[in-house]
Amino acid sequence: MRAQSRKKPGKTDPAETDSAHMDFEGAKAEITGIAHKSGALVWGVVAADAFEAAPEGRRPSDLLPRAESVLVVGGAQPRAGDWQSPNYQHMEVTTTSDRIHGLALRLARVVEDHYGYYAVCVPAGVDHGQQPFMSIAMAAELAGCGSKSLAGPVLHPEYGFMYFGAIVTTMPLPADGPLEIPACPAPECVEMYSSEGLTPCTRVCPIASGGCLSGRIEDGRIVERQYDVARCTTRVQNYWVPGFQKVLGETLRERDPEKQKMILYSSMFSRTLWSMTYANVSQGQCAECMRVCPLGRAHRTKQ
Amino acid sequence: MGFYFVDPKTYKKYKDRVLELSHAVQINFQEHLPAGNRQPALSDKQIAQRLGIEEHVVREIRCVAERDKYPIDEFEAAIHFKDKACRDYAAKGMSSVMSKYVKRAKKE
Repeated sequence: MRAQSRKKPGKTDPAETDSAHMDFEGAKAEITGIAHKSGALVWGVVAADAFEAAPEGRRPSDLLPRAESVLVVGGAQPRAGDWQSPNYQHMEVTTTSDRIHGLALRLARVVEDHYGYYAVCVPAGVDHGQQPFMSIAMAAELAGCGSKSLAGPVLHPEYGFMYFGAIVTTMPLPADGPLEIPACPAPECVEMYSSEGLTPCTRVCPIASGGCLSGRIEDGRIVERQYDVARCTTRVQNYWVPGFQKVLGETLRERDPEKQKMILYSSMFSRTLWSMTYANVSQGQCAECMRVCPLGRAHRTKQ
Repeated sequence: MGFYFVDPKTYKKYKDRVLELSHAVQINFQEHLPAGNRQPALSDKQIAQRLGIEEHVVREIRCVAERDKYPIDEFEAAIHFKDKACRDYAAKGMSSVMSKYVKRAKKE
């Protein structure tokens, strides 16, 4: 039985929901069908109790008591042309991550109004400890939407880099599993590593020379990885809250009003304020490790 | 009405240890790494238990230390890094980082 499959969102009385007779496979197909039609490239479900590796306080049931499942959707990548622009600032102000969050919000509404279960969209921002409420990346990996990469982001074997959204729900949807073969490292990267000890991402942003990344590959798999979070922040959030705090500190220390004016009206501070004004959720202001990633390259290659 | 912040002496005393335990530089952090290699970071609560201080003190020290780690010059350097990497890619494509393999693919 496909419970209430013809009812539109907002029409369901939760009391009508009969979980004993609900066709959860059918419901999953219907929800993911909506996700697909709405622009998601990939989707998957992971059981809420599969997050053993997540720290206490950052598991699905910490966001929603009695959570049963986490539904993950992915897509909204930058366009192929975005990756080709010689102006790195272009992608700083054309972030598309909010689109996938909007889609996740829509699916949460479908789960609640159509099926009568609680659904919480995992916030894309951070909590007061500057950490994610729940790792959407971990959810995406456990749901088989991709695998974590040497560079960091979860990458899909065919599409490569994309944005993810996650919905925690009390609805017991059938779970998918992680990928059997991780997407990263790509065969080209394994070959490059075997002769040079580097991959495209660790070459463009090497931790040993002022960058963020390093790693070791053995038998085609990542076995070691280093990532400098704070340095990456200076690049990814270059003109955003961290940059604002740095410039503000310099301004407060400066006693000379003329010099203070130079700082406040500087290109960096002005650009930072513009960036904070544009942003509704978050902005990724560095994509150089992803720009050189071979995964998804076919989809980023046009005439 | 005031707001809570950590006094600088406490910050200086614990910041390096907090950064180390919270993995400001993540070393073998990811879940999929071989179990023997994996070193997940400690949560603020676990760090607090390890260092014998309160969890909210750890949280404040970590937040400040993460921002404090690199000076403003690093934000300026980031602009030059991105500009160069982006222009190199626009000019040479994947051969900006893996020329050997792009040349080989062209021959094949």
